[in-house]
Amino acid sequence: MAEAGLQVIKLKDCDPHFMNEVIAAGGKNVQLCYQCGTCTGGCPVAHLMDYPPRTVMRMVQLGMKEQVLKSATLWVCASCNTCTTRCPRGVEIAKVMGALKSLAIKEGVAAKNPLGPVFYKSFLDSTGTFGRVFEPKLMLDVHLKGDGSIAQGIRGLLREAPFGMRLAMRGRVALLPEAIGHKEQMKKIYENICKMECLHE
Amino acid sequence: MSEIAVAEKAVPQEAAKPEEKKALRFAYYPGCSLTTSAKDYNMSVIEVAKALGLELEELEDWSCCGATAAYSVNYLLSLALPARNLALAEAKGLDIVTPCPECYYRLWAAHDSMGEDPKVLEKVNKAMDGTGLKCAGSVDVKHILDVLVNGVGMEAIAKKVVRPLKGLKVVPYYGCVIVKPPRKSRFDSPENPMTMDRLISALGAESIQWDSKTRCCGGPIMLTNEKAMLNLSRDLLAKAKAAGAQAVVLPCQLCQLALDGKQTAIEEAFKEKIDMPVLYFTQLMGLAFGIEPKRLGLDKNLVSVNKLLKSIGISS
Repeated sequence: MAEAGLQVIKLKDCDPHFMNEVIAAGGKNVQLCYQCGTCTGGCPVAHLMDYPPRTVMRMVQLGMKEQVLKSATLWVCASCNTCTTRCPRGVEIAKVMGALKSLAIKEGVAAKNPLGPVFYKSFLDSTGTFGRVFEPKLMLDVHLKGDGSIAQGIRGLLREAPFGMRLAMRGRVALLPEAIGHKEQMKKIYENICKMECLHE
Repeated sequence: MSEIAVAEKAVPQEAAKPEEKKALRFAYYPGCSLTTSAKDYNMSVIEVAKALGLELEELEDWSCCGATAAYSVNYLLSLALPARNLALAEAKGLDIVTPCPECYYRLWAAHDSMGEDPKVLEKVNKAMDGTGLKCAGSVDVKHILDVLVNGVGMEAIAKKVVRPLKGLKVVPYYGCVIVKPPRKSRFDSPENPMTMDRLISALGAESIQWDSKTRCCGGPIMLTNEKAMLNLSRDLLAKAKAAGAQAVVLPCQLCQLALDGKQTAIEEAFKEKIDMPVLYFTQLMGLAFGIEPKRLGLDKNLVSVNKLLKSIGISS
């Protein structure tokens, strides 16, 4: 964790517009954080983060864009919303994490956990194409499209195989994706949002 | 004048026979997992609803809510994906009910955001331009636990119990997003929810008080950070065991996949035997209602429920 020790923050390296970018991307009330640390105190995965939630909120306020968007914290967050629930200032911390993830993906900043962006992309591709999520594809994509080697990916899949088999034997695995009737509506929504938000999808 | 007289007459009659109140009807939104990896949850919801006369009409052509993925990629998408479903339900004039806590959260968050700010509503409708769908915000979103306990009611549920689950001790595990973050019109406390506790007691079982009712199981990071997920879920299972529980009872299919599905992986990683059955609250209800275990999907658990069924007098 980066909480211990002092570090010099050079304001000339900070981006004064960053906080507003985060708010526009859904990070409601991040400007209100007064650094009490309730979020970090209740976070079940804070010990796995490079910057705990409280620090991330301050970094956003200061405009430390590069460090925040490259932080592993974003991909460790399990979106459990304990922080948001307890924040005495009404900062929607889990949504701030979501906004930061979306900016990190949009800016193409290399994340320390490459599986997160791959997982989300696979999920949303499925939703955009079929209208519903196709669970087996998520597992394939996470293992084969992460930044590890193909051999690593295959080893990962083999490790998951017994789990998949146990689910399959109980009829809990779909072999084919289930599609909705009006798939064209999904395509339209994705197209509209790309136009409205200038996404690079 | 005569209308008033009729209305006045009707009130005491209704009060005398509460069981004859109008049947509750909802647009049913199962969510993607309930059609595949959580079929058992879907089966038990449908069985229990049928037994209680709760009408669930599957929302025709429903689509994915976007879950954690949408809001991690684009905020507007995280509102537009639920909005498509809200628009479909509006056309039917029915409120939505869903068993999936994540879908519940995404749907209510979109519904409430659009209701609070007309500019958001306008933007989301613009995102649906050309689909022929439009949201006005006229239907609400509820979770099936809320509808069963507070809508159908504990009295009606207790009346259906033919096999009281006497002697069965379980821990109620709510997971996160069913109560967190708290909605303005919330149905239970985010820190110490009690809805499922009361339900479990009404079924005749003992609901153990423990400190991890809403502690995260790590489900959402199962595929991206498995080690962290195994640690979180292992903590929960160990605590459930220490509390003397014979099973974990929950309302979330992702928690079920973590605690039941990954239990073998946890046992292997920590070199310990856990053997803790994990049941949906609707499966527990169905058992107390005398419904056959197979019809509740109880043959789909990865951790065997046979010992548990035996303890309440059901041979499998």
